[in-house]
Amino acid sequence: METIEAHDVVVIGGGPAGLAAALGARRAGAGGVLLLERERTLGGILNQCVHDGFGLFLYKETISGPEYAERLIEDVVREPIKVETGAMVLDLTADRVLRVNSRAGYRLVKAKSVVLAMGCRERTRGMIEIPGTRPAGIFTAGSAQNLVNLQNLRIGNQAVILGSGDIGLIMARRLTFEGVAVKGVFEILPWASGLERNVRQCLMDFGIPLELRSTVVEIRGRDRVESVVVAKVDDRLAPVAGTESVIPCDTLLLSVGLIPENELSKRAGVELSPITGGAVVDQTLMTSAPGIFSCGNVLHIHDVADWASFEGFAAGERAARYAAGERVAGGTVRISAGPNVKYALPQFLTSGAAGVEWSFRVARPLRNVQVLVKGKATEKVYSRKKFGRLLPSELQKIKVRQTVKEDLEVSCHE
Amino acid sequence: MSDLPALDRLTCVLCPVGCELEVRRDATGELEIHGNQCDKGVPFAIEEVLHPKRNLATSVPVRGTPAKMASVRLSGPVPREFVFPILAEIAKLRPEAPVRRGQVLIADVLGTGVDVIATRTVG
Repeated sequence: METIEAHDVVVIGGGPAGLAAALGARRAGAGGVLLLERERTLGGILNQCVHDGFGLFLYKETISGPEYAERLIEDVVREPIKVETGAMVLDLTADRVLRVNSRAGYRLVKAKSVVLAMGCRERTRGMIEIPGTRPAGIFTAGSAQNLVNLQNLRIGNQAVILGSGDIGLIMARRLTFEGVAVKGVFEILPWASGLERNVRQCLMDFGIPLELRSTVVEIRGRDRVESVVVAKVDDRLAPVAGTESVIPCDTLLLSVGLIPENELSKRAGVELSPITGGAVVDQTLMTSAPGIFSCGNVLHIHDVADWASFEGFAAGERAARYAAGERVAGGTVRISAGPNVKYALPQFLTSGAAGVEWSFRVARPLRNVQVLVKGKATEKVYSRKKFGRLLPSELQKIKVRQTVKEDLEVSCHE
Repeated sequence: MSDLPALDRLTCVLCPVGCELEVRRDATGELEIHGNQCDKGVPFAIEEVLHPKRNLATSVPVRGTPAKMASVRLSGPVPREFVFPILAEIAKLRPEAPVRRGQVLIADVLGTGVDVIATRTVG
């Protein structure tokens, strides 16, 4: 017979969201908090993000990823939180039993509540189906970042970057620092998918061209990448014949999107949103599986680590309250994304909830925008907020102070 | 007459809001800033047009530990033209373990008044 180790709150993942979730749970009074991290060190992706720009909201100053991680880790180790690195969660059930493989061996863990904080992974060449040969020299931007920053490896001499996600932009600068010639960043959409500040600091500063409405249509080379073929795309994002040009290079970086890593969530039967790729949650960040909460990039992709941490603090606190027996009535009020909104989160509310804040992302760049939270049936405006400009790359927030008892829609109007 | 552009558009990089700033010269030749959502935007835009400053980050191998890298950055921003000369100075660094977060690895690098500091504890 297998023995089961019991904990109040188990947090899966020790990055910016999971570290904060463990702290949030502890500060809300959870007795036994277990934090499980697959890697040998805590901090998650922060460890390889050596650039600055982290911490502006959490620490009110701009620091690098490793510093941000160390500060959070120092807070965690000061608390009576049980931290286990090198611990892989193999399975999670809807009744919150985890199968854990670690240096201590294989065991079962039962949690009163679970916080999912597994982060995300990068989209690969296979997922975007770039035709051509299969030579060495093709990296996702994040794996290139790991090789350069943590393993001190030179990944190539002449690079092309496909996709303008933040990690791709950051790597354009990082490779330039390492003496790699970055020939250009090619983005299929009419706008950059990374933050504006990264476009300016990482590309414009070094004269690296950003080609919008363009993509890589072929990779050439036998053993190593020798060139890529780029082409303009039409309004349907299909390559336009006759616009192809060949760019000699030995390295292709892909920064073409991130996918929440929800393999464990699926095992537990957690309902996922096809839009965010993460769990559908209520105002307490609880998923469709009672007692299982979600935060950070596994819930939806964040552009700033601080917001992933704030979500972690909130999920951890709610998980602690759940473990202590607090129950919130199920989410029956549905929030939908209206015109110009890609998604709004949480997707459900308990009827009668008040003071709820939504994260939302717009579907395209907008100027002079009014964001409205309206009742679907009554058309009543629960909240409105004005923005000079909204970009799909920026996660935004809007709060409703009043009590909500009807289905809502979040919409943006220029 | 100044050879500066009479009009410049730039995105503020101080925070993720990324305000679109417009820099104009008024009749007296003073710089005017538009589009900033907070007070930091004004000095930022003026500095960004006249003397852009940047921080930089990289990582260096640490001696005495197997294959461990310490990430480094500057304690504050430097004029942009110092970025590559400072990178060349940092490339010579081979600090001995242990390295602590915040440790000064090069003080007053190239006379800029700014230090190169470790951003990760190693060893």
